[in-house]
Amino acid sequence: MKNDIQFWIVCTFVSLLVVSTGKAQNGQNTNTLDTYQTNSNRTAALTVSGYIKDAANGEGLIGVSVYVKETGTGAVTNNYGFYGVTLQPGTYSLVISYVGYAKQTKTVALSDKNVRLDLELEQEGKDLQEVIVSTKREDDNVKNIEMSVNRIDVKTLQRIPALLGEVDVIRSIQLLPGVSTVGEGATGFNVRGGSIDQNLVLLDEAPVYNSSHLFGFFSVFNPDAVKDVKLIKGGIPSNYGGRIASILDVRLKEGNAKKPELNGGIGLIFSRLSYERPLFKGKGSFIVAGRRSYADILAQPFLNSDLKGAKFYFYDLTAKGNYRINDKNTVFLSGYLGRDVFGSDFGFNWGNTTLSARWNHVFSDRLFLNTTAYYSNYDYSLNTDLKGKRPNDFFKTDSRIVDYSLKPDFSLFLGKNTITFGGQSIYHDFQPGMATAASGGSVRTFGLESKYALENALYVGNEQQLTPKLQLQYGLRYSLFNYVGPGEAYVFQTDVPFGQRREVITTLSYKGNKTIKTYGNWEPRFSAKYELNGNTSLKLSYNRLAQYIHLISNTSASTPLDIWTPSTNNIAPQIGDQIAAGYFKNFGKNGQEFEASVEVYYKWLQNQIDYIDGASLILNKYLEGDLLKGKGRAYGAEFFIKRNTGVVNGWISYTLAKTERQVAGINNGDWYPTRFDKRHTLTSVLLFDPPNAKRWSFSATFTLASGTPATFPTNRFEFGDFVVPHNYENARNNYRIPAYHRLDLAATLQGRKRPGKKKEDNWVFSVYNAYARKNPFSVYFQPNADNPRVTEAIRYSVFATIIPSVTYNFKF
Amino acid sequence: MKRFAFACYVSAATLLFSRCTTVIDAKLDTGPSELSVDGLITDQPGEQTIRLTQTAGYFDSSTPPAATSATVTVSDDAGKTYRFLDPDNDGYYVWQPTGKDTLGRVGRTYQLTIVFRGETYRATSKLNRVPPVDSLVFVKRKINPISTTEGYRAEFYSTDLAGATDYYRVRFFRNGVLQNKARNIILSEDGAFEGASQVTDGLLFIAPIRLSVNPDSLYKQNENVKIELHSVSADAFRFWNLLRGQVTNGGLFATPPANVPTNILNANTSGPKATGFFITSAVRSLSATVSTPNLRERPY
Repeated sequence: MKNDIQFWIVCTFVSLLVVSTGKAQNGQNTNTLDTYQTNSNRTAALTVSGYIKDAANGEGLIGVSVYVKETGTGAVTNNYGFYGVTLQPGTYSLVISYVGYAKQTKTVALSDKNVRLDLELEQEGKDLQEVIVSTKREDDNVKNIEMSVNRIDVKTLQRIPALLGEVDVIRSIQLLPGVSTVGEGATGFNVRGGSIDQNLVLLDEAPVYNSSHLFGFFSVFNPDAVKDVKLIKGGIPSNYGGRIASILDVRLKEGNAKKPELNGGIGLIFSRLSYERPLFKGKGSFIVAGRRSYADILAQPFLNSDLKGAKFYFYDLTAKGNYRINDKNTVFLSGYLGRDVFGSDFGFNWGNTTLSARWNHVFSDRLFLNTTAYYSNYDYSLNTDLKGKRPNDFFKTDSRIVDYSLKPDFSLFLGKNTITFGGQSIYHDFQPGMATAASGGSVRTFGLESKYALENALYVGNEQQLTPKLQLQYGLRYSLFNYVGPGEAYVFQTDVPFGQRREVITTLSYKGNKTIKTYGNWEPRFSAKYELNGNTSLKLSYNRLAQYIHLISNTSASTPLDIWTPSTNNIAPQIGDQIAAGYFKNFGKNGQEFEASVEVYYKWLQNQIDYIDGASLILNKYLEGDLLKGKGRAYGAEFFIKRNTGVVNGWISYTLAKTERQVAGINNGDWYPTRFDKRHTLTSVLLFDPPNAKRWSFSATFTLASGTPATFPTNRFEFGDFVVPHNYENARNNYRIPAYHRLDLAATLQGRKRPGKKKEDNWVFSVYNAYARKNPFSVYFQPNADNPRVTEAIRYSVFATIIPSVTYNFKF
Repeated sequence: MKRFAFACYVSAATLLFSRCTTVIDAKLDTGPSELSVDGLITDQPGEQTIRLTQTAGYFDSSTPPAATSATVTVSDDAGKTYRFLDPDNDGYYVWQPTGKDTLGRVGRTYQLTIVFRGETYRATSKLNRVPPVDSLVFVKRKINPISTTEGYRAEFYSTDLAGATDYYRVRFFRNGVLQNKARNIILSEDGAFEGASQVTDGLLFIAPIRLSVNPDSLYKQNENVKIELHSVSADAFRFWNLLRGQVTNGGLFATPPANVPTNILNANTSGPKATGFFITSAVRSLSATVSTPNLRERPY
């Protein structure tokens, strides 16, 4: 009840803020009489707005700068390529600029009507040779209020040397400051000391619960279909929520709206094919892109009867279409479908399905609405009889998580203020485990109760140009979470020593959609930017985020079979607070050749989940009794320098960080470093375009990182014939494994262009782990196989050798 | 179960990726020595033994120092007390039956008491029920799918007892020799995997457990195989499960190293701690020879 009231208070607050900011606007500009009646004949502020697209394929461009020379103000296009600038009547020069595209200047005369100005920008230098690594706006680093944000455009992504030649979004973002991983091949990524479930991975606004193929070796995003990748590590605006560490916002291409296009590639792991074309006489377009691994197809003829039918593959299919109904309405439909299947007799499979439908509506030249409805499904299953040959003897479990959501998001362009407001409702359906066992012909089925939850949020935010030098972005989000029936809720013992299993005392049954437990959180967000001069700025941010779903894993690297659970009466929501401050500077030729930044951050995390030793995850109805609750802290500094232009460009980043947890019952209640804590991380990406070798381009990446923590024994004891490691102090993560470093190289050879032919192609040669270092993934302790009484420390490397590869890409 | 699934997966993935393990030098601190208990009491006739040692430095590969001069007794909830003696001073404390007496009885709860160097340690465990091993048969198979060498794969049949969650450990002997490598630690909850009790209670043991009693090279004609089915308590099941995790660690999805639990508690909670476990088991067994009467045809 209390939370419902809070919810409505927020609603009211949102509407009041929207109105009052509008009023404040009037107060500041005495000439403005009424910001809402823009079409009246009175002297009023007028708006220039429209879509900015790529002339080559009609894709909406995200983050294009629209700068008004006369007033020194401007705007940036949103995620759909829409912008709005509010001005007094007069004649203005608008400079539209976007890295990699030819700059345009347009003269706009505003007298008594708003102006709609849709533009198409031409790419500068079409071939891959002239790739420019950059954030989108030339001076974005300094001028944009966003901090702790990294963008990678697809062209850069395609240049970075890739494992087995497979261009990969998640592996590439691990080259950015503040992003790390437990080790190569591990699922997911860690941002500023957050665990992998604390990243909200969005594919056209639908969450992807497992972003990996083949564990973490490859990610589910098909680079041929991806348009833009943005990682937000801090200063997270109020329109995002639900995870406490970061937002990885992946946007798909809309498909070429000008002409049909066929892209493809043949690599060692995947083969790829995508097709895009205009629809409805240029009023729409679509793209379909698919990939499949083919190790199994290649191997099939060589397998004898027993291994025939062994399954070993993964695939994904990505599609998106859009239709522009008229100037004011555009609809988009995007979908993803992917699956990994592995095993012979005993095997498992997992996959994500997402579907998102969006409607862009321009109410007026100032008010833009995007409404997204999405469906996201992640399911996984284990089976002892993957080939289906033993109907009388098998054991399998199936689990899934399904989300349905509706999310209206408004942008209101009011000159010096850009207000965003909206809300989101998500219905979560968790099926933690459904088991079927057949033994000797008897078949039984048992399912854990599904868990249901409703997650709602309302938010409002404003980006305000206070003075020419000072810009603010502030907002508030209220999230309300209901853990609802039908289902059972458990009450556990409380008087158990920390670190031991709590047994269930009472089971409560809930019918219908009755609320079992409610949590509500206010999530304030704040960012400020102060420009010291045209090339230098200081930025500051604070955000609080709440997270109501949790991933429980009891292995070193997360597996696709780990358990997702909502917050329940026993699991409190995770809360993360972060403050960050940064210094941003651009310098060099034209003041934009280099961009540099230094950021420091400190994070506090509440209600972090850990588990007792030996917690049982699979099919455990009373899993909550095995969980422990603790807190976390993470702090660090990130240094970043990037050269945007030149024969040699790229970036170097260095991160100094510390990440700790404190959980009663673990490490004797003392703070301990997390499994992904790395004190130092240095990464560099260099792209080299030799001026006298037109068809060749080269790239290299280098990574150097401190070893991750591990628990080492101090003693041993014998039990039966087994020598068992034992830590006298019962410490966790008391040692560190050796440091990690790796060099990767790649060379791209463009195919010769034949006059009059549309075909373009290239060969990418890459070398992963160029000096064949045996990088440690873990160090563990084991008895010697021949003499069990002799115990050994063993370093385990995922890739212990140099891995060369070649990929062929083509485009028609 | 999960680890097993991943073993399949990872071995398949090895086709594509080179993986590598290297023995390295690691400098470890050594903690003070503690009492370690290796105790198993069964319902079988004959003597019963509890071994007491002391923990040593992790890389110390000598025989662990025996914990001698301790007083070791086991008492049950029916009021009987059994004394365990170590006449050889080697840390093996033995109870000798008089006549046809057996120590363990299904359904009783046993308490182990050890007085060692002035400290009193106690452990409690219930001796749970166990079903019989109904049959043991062999199927002619290739040693592995790409080999032409053939052998005989053993499969034992047992049916879980209905009505409660039962935990088992399976041991197997080849020609009288206990197969006791880390990968031979076979554990089962209600005849299936950990967590499966709600679905397999009372069911025939599932196929992966029935087929788990094989050496890498399969059996040869005329070899003798013995299957032992032990009941264990829920705590002992968890102990064995974690112990198995620790001694077979490694790979991408390793269990993070952690201490395995113990049920040996010092009466003085601020006194020195102990390691190891006191386990009570009911045992049923069945032997068979790899010969024509025991051979079967199976589609899998």
